[in-house]
Amino acid sequence: MEAIAAEGLSKVYRTRVAGRTGVHALTDFSLTVESGQIFGLLGPNGAGKTTFVRTVLSLVRPTSGSARLLGVPLPDVNVRSRTGYLPEQHRYPPHMTGEVALRLFGRLSGATPAILNTRVPSLLAQLGLSEWGRTKIKRYSKGMVQRLGLAQAMLHDPDVLFLDEPTDGLDPVGRKEIRDVLIGLRNEGKTIFLNSHLLSEVELVCDRVAVLDRGKLLRVATVDELTVSGTRYEIGFAGQIPPGFLDETRARVLPVSFGNGVMEVDVHGTDDLNRLIDLMRSHRIAITSIIHRRASLEDSFLKMLKPGEST
Amino acid sequence: MRIIALIGDTLRELTGKVTLLILIGISTLFILGTLAAFSARETPEGILLSLFGKEAAAPVPPDRVEAFVFGIQASLSSGLMTGIVLFGVFATAGLIPSVLDRGIVDLYLSRPLARWELILGKSLGAVTAIVLVSLYFLGAIFLVFGLKVGIWNPQILTAAAGIGLVFITVYVLLLFTAVCTGSTPLSIIAAYVYLFVIAGLLQGRESGLFLFSENNVFRSTIDGLYYLLPQIPAMRQSISAWIMHQPAEWVPFLQSIASAGLFFVGSAAILERKDF
Repeated sequence: MEAIAAEGLSKVYRTRVAGRTGVHALTDFSLTVESGQIFGLLGPNGAGKTTFVRTVLSLVRPTSGSARLLGVPLPDVNVRSRTGYLPEQHRYPPHMTGEVALRLFGRLSGATPAILNTRVPSLLAQLGLSEWGRTKIKRYSKGMVQRLGLAQAMLHDPDVLFLDEPTDGLDPVGRKEIRDVLIGLRNEGKTIFLNSHLLSEVELVCDRVAVLDRGKLLRVATVDELTVSGTRYEIGFAGQIPPGFLDETRARVLPVSFGNGVMEVDVHGTDDLNRLIDLMRSHRIAITSIIHRRASLEDSFLKMLKPGEST
Repeated sequence: MRIIALIGDTLRELTGKVTLLILIGISTLFILGTLAAFSARETPEGILLSLFGKEAAAPVPPDRVEAFVFGIQASLSSGLMTGIVLFGVFATAGLIPSVLDRGIVDLYLSRPLARWELILGKSLGAVTAIVLVSLYFLGAIFLVFGLKVGIWNPQILTAAAGIGLVFITVYVLLLFTAVCTGSTPLSIIAAYVYLFVIAGLLQGRESGLFLFSENNVFRSTIDGLYYLLPQIPAMRQSISAWIMHQPAEWVPFLQSIASAGLFFVGSAAILERKDF
């Protein structure tokens, strides 16, 4: 079942600087996210990631196109009782304590006081904020605000969670804890839509990712599809390479490079790899290891963008 | 339920505002001062009133005591209304711009909450605070005069609703400016300019503005503005008349409520078109 669907979504921000042309934040953006996944949306700054989420949540009005959330055509106020949102750089009114904020946003999401009486303390405990519930949020550290943000998004047990930079401001231990929470939610069947600059984080938790650049969708794939697309192998060997082996490899298989007992090769498929192994064995080269080098998500991401772009 | 949650949130936010606390503090001082300074003594000629121990030159005849007390209460209420509007605008002006700030508004509007519900809840919260402060002051005045002079005037209590209505009509102007500009200072300026300049000019248009031109279009425009905008001075006079048990005009209230409704709908329509 589809959790999020966008068809031909475009958003042009009219600005005084840009005049009539405006800024094209999203251009003909179509995407489907199935339920029960952790889906990552990647892109450089200004790619349109946040605009997409805000459009789906009706905080931004699309210039054209349509979207559905849990099968409901947007805009629809009521469907938001089944979604949670952690905005990037969210802030709370200064008079609020953590507990007050959770109770208010819980009630605005439609949760009854009875549900909140059990849900609020349990979420504060789950996110390590039990002792801080009655403290004003203005006294919280950035990491604590981030945890509270996650708590308010999860408060009403939504089916779809939109998280914009959820691990921002957290230390490595905190990040691991948040990852565990997200994986736990996926195992419960929740859909998580993640916007993040931290590609290593995305790689660790996401089932599928989409890459967005200047408002246009470049690719949608699983993390494996993006990272295994590399066909580089590292073959460790012992001893010396016999004379003529390099030339024979170039002629019969593919060019290889050597260094410190490791041979590197980009093959077109496992046939190439097996021919190379056969050739090595025929020259009595002792193979000590064969490692299939995965490209990191960051490598794949950068490769998709034009040179000079960064995350 | 969501609106009630927003009203509660707004009341909690306002209790932390220094301006509102000052208003409550001034009200308390005024109440205590009245309680301590004002006294009344029955004499064969009527009731002899004294202030800070100094007795009035002559007692108030028994048949005029009630009207006299009602007059004092009306003056106090009028003063309260000025204070309430002055401080109330200042205390509540930041509510809408702050909740519409990016980073905060996302937390509210990502819920199953319509935009008009958000501004309605916050506005009702502001008005509730003002009505509660008014009730506190007027209730105390009701008790002071009841206990000291024996005249109980329940109409002074219901005047809190009238002050609430006056505040609503001022608050929607503030709301409209806040939604259009997102600026707290501009909202305060707009409300004060209307209260202290435009409202008075429109109220006295026949003896003032109309002297500048006999042009029918000009006069019709001024008349149109008078009926379109809240009629604060007229409502104020009606509240005083009501407290004094005199005939009160209700038309200004009805017109002002209609005007407030129009400004609220306009604010909601503009907000609906905004991107956050």
